[in-house]
Formats: sequence, C-alpha cells, structure tokens
Amino acid sequence: MTTHLTHPPTEPTELVPVRWFTGRSELIVSVLVLGLAVFLTVGTVTMAVPEGSGTPGPQFFPTIVAGMLYLLAILLAIQVIRAPRTVDGDSNVGLSTDLLTDIGDIDTTSELRVVRSSTRPTTRRRISATDWRTTGYVFGALVGFVLILQPVGWLLSASALFWAIARALGSRRPVFDVGVSVIFSSFIQLAFSAGLGLNLPSGILTGVLSWIN
Amino acid sequence: MDQLGLLLEGFSVALTPMNLLWLLIGAVLGTAVGVLPGLGSAMAVALLLPVTFSLDPTGAFIMFASIYFGGLFGDSTSGILLNTPGNSSAIATTFEGHRMAKDGRAAKALGTSAIGAFTGGMIATTLVVFFSPYLVRLATLFGPAEYFALAAFAFVAISAVVAESVVRGLIALAIGLSLAMVGVDGQSGAARFTLGMPEFLDGISIIVVTVGLLALGEVLHVASRIHREGPAMQIRAKGSPYLTWSEFKQAFPAFLRGTGFGLPFGAIPVGGSEVPTFLAYGTEKKLAKRRGDTDFGSRGAIQGVAGPEAAGNATAGSAMGALLALGLPTSATAAMMLAAFQQYGMQPGPLLFERSADLVWPLLASLFLGLIILLIINLPFAAVWAKLLLVPKHYLYAGVTVFAVFGVYAIASSMKDLWLLLGIGALGFVMRRFAIPLAPVLIAAILGPLAETELRRALAVSEGDLGILVGSPITVGLYAVMAVAIAVSIVQHLRHRRKSAPAPTPADRVTTP
Repeated sequence: MTTHLTHPPTEPTELVPVRWFTGRSELIVSVLVLGLAVFLTVGTVTMAVPEGSGTPGPQFFPTIVAGMLYLLAILLAIQVIRAPRTVDGDSNVGLSTDLLTDIGDIDTTSELRVVRSSTRPTTRRRISATDWRTTGYVFGALVGFVLILQPVGWLLSASALFWAIARALGSRRPVFDVGVSVIFSSFIQLAFSAGLGLNLPSGILTGVLSWIN
Repeated sequence: MDQLGLLLEGFSVALTPMNLLWLLIGAVLGTAVGVLPGLGSAMAVALLLPVTFSLDPTGAFIMFASIYFGGLFGDSTSGILLNTPGNSSAIATTFEGHRMAKDGRAAKALGTSAIGAFTGGMIATTLVVFFSPYLVRLATLFGPAEYFALAAFAFVAISAVVAESVVRGLIALAIGLSLAMVGVDGQSGAARFTLGMPEFLDGISIIVVTVGLLALGEVLHVASRIHREGPAMQIRAKGSPYLTWSEFKQAFPAFLRGTGFGLPFGAIPVGGSEVPTFLAYGTEKKLAKRRGDTDFGSRGAIQGVAGPEAAGNATAGSAMGALLALGLPTSATAAMMLAAFQQYGMQPGPLLFERSADLVWPLLASLFLGLIILLIINLPFAAVWAKLLLVPKHYLYAGVTVFAVFGVYAIASSMKDLWLLLGIGALGFVMRRFAIPLAPVLIAAILGPLAETELRRALAVSEGDLGILVGSPITVGLYAVMAVAIAVSIVQHLRHRRKSAPAPTPADRVTTP
C-alpha cells in the first residue's frame, strides 16, 4: 500500500554507484509482457478452430488481449526508460496515491506515519534491493517439495518444506524446528486426510502408521 | 415482506448445532487470518475452498459467511497495536487507532473497531436482505451487452481509475485476462493455449491464481527483505474495550456515516474497501476540524476509528448483495465467494434466488449470526487475539506456505496445479517487486470469461455491429459513469503532478508489510 505524503523521505544509507540500469530493472517486466504477447499471438494463429464456431470465434478475444499486451509492453518500456524509478518493493495494493490523498484528506504533517519495515533497517544496504539468497532458498525449497511430494509422501515432504522455510526466514533452533514441522504437517494430515477424507500422498510411509491413508 | 419469512426459514437452517459449529470455526479462522499480517479473508476462503469440498454446501457456505466478515474484524488489530496495518483495508483505521493506542487506549480502539465492523456489517446485510429482490429484478433487465458493460466497468475502474499507474494497472489486467483464456473455449469448444497438454483443458483454477499471487507471492516477498528489517514495537492492549455512554454517543454518528460511505462501494468494483475507508476517514477528519476537536490527530479520536471500520464492513455486506443478485464480484473476497458457488455448481445472479433459495437464505441468515458471533469473540477478547502477532514470523510464513501447497494440492491432487502455483507465486513476487497491482489480475481472471462470453454473444446477435454495445439506456449509463470517473481521475493526476513539481521519490511511501 502506498501513500506518499504521509511519510518523510528516508535518507539513502549508502551511496550506490548509479548505473544506467539502476531504476530501470523494470524493463524485465516489459520483456516478460512482450513474451506473453508473442505466446498469445502464436497460440491464436495456430489454434485449431472447430467448424461452425460462429463469429466472433475463439480467436477474437485473444487477439484483443494480445494487441493490448504489445501496446502496454512498449508503453511501459518508454515510461521506464524516460523516468527510471527505484521501487521500494513494499507495495501490495497499487492504489492511486492521489486518489487516496484526496478522499482521505491526508496532509503532509498531521497524519501519523504508518510504519513500514524500511524505517528500521538492520542493514546498511538499500532495503529495497532484493535479498536474492533468501528468496532463492525459499523458492528452491518449494521446487524441492513439489519434486519429492509424490515419492516421499505428504508427511515428510511438508515437514521438510516447513523446516526449510522457517530456517531460511531466520529461525535459529533447527532441532526444535524439526518438532514444530512434524507436528504441523501431521496436524494437516490428521485433520483433513483422516478427518475429512482428502487424499494426500502417503509415499514411503504407507502403512507405517494407521492414520496415513 | 416475503423476505422476512424466507430469512426466518434461513435462520432455522443455520441455527442447528452443527451449523453453529461451522459458523464458530469460520469466525475464529476469519479473525485469526485477519489479525495475521499480510493475509486477508480472500486468502482464507481460497485456502478453505478445496478443504471444504467434502462438506455439504450449506455447512460450507455458513462457514464462509463468517470467514467473509471475520477477516475485516481482525485486520485492524496489527494496525492499532503495531502501526503496521495487516491489510490495505485497515490503513485508514490505523491513523487514529494507533494514536489512541499510544495514548493508552489501545483496548478502547480495538473495541471501537469491533463495534464499528459489527454495525457496518449489520446495516449492510439488512439492506441486502430487503433490497435483493429489487436487485434481482434489475438484473433480469440485463442482456449480454449490459453484462459486458458491467465487466468493462470493473476492468477500467480497478486497473485505470484507482491504480497508481495506469500502464501497470492495465498490464495486470491483461495478465489476468490471459490466465482466464487458457483451456477449452466454452462457446466453440476450441482448445486455447494449452500447449497440447490435456491437463490444461480445464483451464487454470482461480484458487491456484489467488493462492499463488497472494500467499506464495507474499511469502517470497517477505523472504526478499526479512533479513533487512527491524522488529516492530507492539503496544499492549490495556484497559477496557467497552465504550462508555458518552463515548458511544460520539462514535455512533461516525458508525452511521462510515456505513453510508461503505454501502454504495460494495456494489462498485473498485477493489474493495480502501476507497470507502479513506472517504470515511477524510470525512471524520473534516468534521473534527469543524467541531474544533483537538483529540483528532493528537491523542487519537474515537470517530477516526469508528468511521473507517464501519465503512469497511458495510462494503463487504453490500458486496455480498451485488454478488448474489447480479453475480458481480466487486472485491477479491467476493470473487473467492463466487469461486465457491461455482465449485458447488451454482452461478450467482438473478436465477440464484429461485434455483438455490435453500442455500441463499441460510447464507444470508448466517451473515447475521456470523456478525454476532464475531462481535462476541472480538469485543471482549481483542487483546487475546493480539497475542497472535507474537507468533514468530518464520513459523508464520512457513505455516502459510505449507497450507498454501496443501490447499492447492487438495483441489484435484494434481501436480500440474502445484507447478502452476509456483509459477504464479513467482509472478506475484515479480509484480510486487515492481509495484504492479495484484487486484486487477484477480478481477480479470474471474470476470474475464464472463466479459468474453457476453461480448461474443452480443456481437453474434447484432452480426458484428458494435452499436449493440451502447444500444440500451443501462449500457449508455454505465459507460457515461465510466467516462466521468476517467475524467475525474485524469484531472486528479494532473493537479497532483503540478502541485508536487519536485516529484516525490518513490521511497517516501507508506506501506503495509
């Protein structure tokens, strides 16, 4: 959620040498949008349209959306190149600041600052810079989970996922975490699989315990 | 007063011990999810959808009814105590709520917000019950062109009018529309964008999209910055949450004003309760100035909490009305409720009251009961709920992740859904990283099929003549309102651009975690 004006500018804690790409990394989004547009175009052109689909047919709407995407990819690229911005990266709503400022009668002085994390940074690096190590670790844990879910079973793989993410996000008690993880994933297995009859893969623990399938 | 009899019948269904238990479970889950930062009632419904598949529809919907409001009861807690609103719907409450907390009136602020949420929800739900037949009658006047106009209105409102950046809002919208097009086209039977894989013929489940964008996106986002943040300071909720008579007299008009702002916005798809809560806050602030009230903006005024909270839940209440009678989801949570109806093979809209009356009236009745239960578990125990904020973040987000993959796997025990979930989670992370709004993706993914179907139907009837899209007073009216909204928004952006000549750096923004 972003409303500036209610928040004093934070001083940059470290002078980073400004490269052309600084504030322009959003060009990646532009490329991705373009990629999506090309994907839609190829899919639309090669679509097998059944006989008698009528007009407008199944290709009508995708054509409009693909056209929109091409246009937006170009517009975004122009915007980003003309006005680079270092995004704080901590906004999740994207509602118009101007709109909210107007209707909320927000002014620069009297609104209490609504605290965000970057006002109490624990690092001297720019807080908006992504911590790729932690993010990659969490994503890797997720990929690993999906890979082992079927062969290993829910109980162990979900415990491993819980443990890995808790560890990545800063837990310092690995042994204690093993207990928490196993309890958490067993609770889900018990409540929803044994209780409500949802099907969870039992994997290598099949038949070991009576409540695992 | 036909509705009264039907509603009483609904109460008789909802008041069985088993259904009351579902209601209580829903209220507890909803409040808990609301209190926890970064999660909302949309997520709660999305995650519980697959899980409740084995319940009978009545029980499931009774539970959803209390989850639906529960998220809005809990969300102001972290804003008031920590000054970090857990959801965007709680930002307006946070301004005065945290001031009250710092003044030693945290419990009172929490109590006011619970009563506000209750009042707003109660009034809105009552109106929905009595006006739904008229809404249904209105909806029967709607043909393909009118439904397309409604969907187009929703798209423009969410992605262009209320978005920070029009281009980024529209990108989000187009991504959502693309996600919605995957699978077999209902009208012609053509397989679209499936890459030849039969798994994709059913399309991409909206549950996967929601959980991926909101839950996994959030977890990855937290991971990208958790080691760079300091802890927030929590204020302990001391004192009595109950309002004295004189405080109640102060707050009561604010409850009503907030409800007044919230009601109409439930029926307009502008992304939920941010706009009405800010409107309510702004009004209370202006009124306090006129009264010469010095508490507002210093010690914290009770009205500044009462107005926005009532507005938030009033929006949720009338959004439910718009969903049931028109089939139009106006917020992410309403969209999840729509997905819930579709899971049970029902389509909200004018016919719902005829075909599924046995479900609709218990649902409406349980909205009332849910609000009462929520008030009971929130007003005296707000300080207890605040203890949830003490759960260490690493366990909280690990739990959210495990529950997210569980919920998605439970939809159809499909590995494809899990891979998709990871992909959409990564998408959500990238979008948050670059401040691209997520709400348009959800609205587009949900209304996209409706917009496409109705557009093609309209054009097929008119044999390609675009004039049919503006061929009735209703469509002309909708497009006219849309044009006015766009014009106002352009003026607003230009005015602010001129005022803030030295462009504000993107760093000085208020954010929620």
